[in-house]
Amino acid sequence: MNIINKCKKTITKTIFIIPSLIALGAVAVYPLIYAIRSSFHDWNLHRPDASRFIGINNYIRLFNDFTFTNSLTITLIYTLITVTGTMVLGFLLALLLQKPFKGVNLARALLTVPMIMTQVVIGLGFRVFIWEPDYGLVNWLLDLINISGPAWVSQIPYAFIAAAITHIWFMTPLVMIIMDASLANIPDNIQDATKIDGASYWQRIFYVIIPMLKKTIIFTILLRITIDFRMFDIIHVLTGGGPGRSTQLLSVWVYNQALRAHNLGYANSGALLMMVIIALICGTITYWGLLKGGPES
Amino acid sequence: MKNNNDSNLIRSKLKKIKDKSIDKLRILTVIFAVFIAFFPFLWILMTSFKLPGEIQSLPPSIIFRPTLVNFQAIIDENFFKYLRNSIILTTSGVSLSMLLGVPAAYGLSKLKIPFKNGILFFILTLRFVPYIVFAIPIFMIFVELGLVGTRIGVIFVYILINLPLITWLMKNFFDEIPEELADAAKVDGANIFQIFYKVYLPNSKAGIACVLILSFVFTWNEYLFALILSGRDAQPLTVGLTQFLGGIEYGVQWGALSAWSFSLVFPVVTISLFVNKYLRKGFAGGMS
Repeated sequence: MNIINKCKKTITKTIFIIPSLIALGAVAVYPLIYAIRSSFHDWNLHRPDASRFIGINNYIRLFNDFTFTNSLTITLIYTLITVTGTMVLGFLLALLLQKPFKGVNLARALLTVPMIMTQVVIGLGFRVFIWEPDYGLVNWLLDLINISGPAWVSQIPYAFIAAAITHIWFMTPLVMIIMDASLANIPDNIQDATKIDGASYWQRIFYVIIPMLKKTIIFTILLRITIDFRMFDIIHVLTGGGPGRSTQLLSVWVYNQALRAHNLGYANSGALLMMVIIALICGTITYWGLLKGGPES
Repeated sequence: MKNNNDSNLIRSKLKKIKDKSIDKLRILTVIFAVFIAFFPFLWILMTSFKLPGEIQSLPPSIIFRPTLVNFQAIIDENFFKYLRNSIILTTSGVSLSMLLGVPAAYGLSKLKIPFKNGILFFILTLRFVPYIVFAIPIFMIFVELGLVGTRIGVIFVYILINLPLITWLMKNFFDEIPEELADAAKVDGANIFQIFYKVYLPNSKAGIACVLILSFVFTWNEYLFALILSGRDAQPLTVGLTQFLGGIEYGVQWGALSAWSFSLVFPVVTISLFVNKYLRKGFAGGMS
């Protein structure tokens, strides 16, 4: 009787989460299994009946495929640049907001706008109004100081630079928000104590504040890395991966393989490998930064 | 002794002057940053009300006679069909995910559920997997099921974007509500459903508002899944926007592009400015 009652209780409790788990099973787990299965097949959209099992050949092909290794390299460099850029700028912006002034909350609100804006609009807007070679704002400003700017999004390596800057513009607010919130949580007495010790502002930042926020900083870096690997919208409309393959991030590579070349099995093997790579990167950072204690503690 | 005092006084005065000028510099930097962050939105706003001939003039004309021709142009391009799709996809996608996610978050926060940590880890992981990993197999499954080009399919997929976020954030909000609140209701013999509905839900309004805004923004802005799955008939505004890029033959339709962009961005930017506190709380809280 008691056991039955207990079972009944557990079942009523799980009613709260069962629908969610079923839904996630259908939209996440099943597609993932489907992707793994298809990655071992030669699966082309034009020959749906002719898909055949080819073992790990897709994965072997990835490592010999210049377009894939190129995309991987580009993604890693892109991630390194934009994560560093957004972390530094976002942290500095958050520092500027710590001492209250008139209109500080309005400034906070307006500073979050880039992150909220629709990514397709950002990509297209920057393409036609900012980076446009003849009518764009950047080249007009460069013209004012007598520099003739490049044809940004259609010229190597400027397309990559333009894409990275656009991305930094888009994602700096996220870092700012997180850092702003965690800086505000640092108790005043810690700040005061270091002030009495005669530490300068930057000494306080580097030796007291940053070590205190280490955990948040590492979490933010992880979040930023996953967002970069996820990045598709802005690149897809800003450069389309071009010129050549100079801005073809992994997401765009997978998209092109699947929906342009119709190699669905092969595209999925690339996507899954990409997932493994992120997991490895994030795992390493977590281990190095959080579990092992990192360099300074 | 007196001399020493004087120099101290001068030093502290100098420090004050220095502090003040640093403060001014700080505020100027913030204003500059705000300008950089906000001006693309202003630019789109202005451009969408400019005559096509005025749009490309440099230096940009700040003062101009506003016109509605660009909006007329996008209405001719079926703007309302896309708008309708956007509204249907967003409202259905968000409400479906809320209906599933809020109870799940409550369960994971307050009830003893088997494999709780495993489930939480699974949900957290989903937030970090690139969407393209899911998008391609979902496309393949949809082709098999004949769901490509249907709204219902896209709505269903938007669970993937929203549910992990909603569950994770709402769990954090529920965690902050003390369990003692439910004690009185428990004494009265309320069951877990009543406790959820009458005690926890009313006490987590701020959390719900926060989560609702975030998932609205993400769903409204969604592009990748809509691009792949919405076929011809279910396309939302984000996918419709790319038609104005034209090709080499037509060139960019600047005015229409701006008006469409403005209509797309305006709702999310306005909402985010009005409820910015919730929004920031959501993004910062998504971290912990």
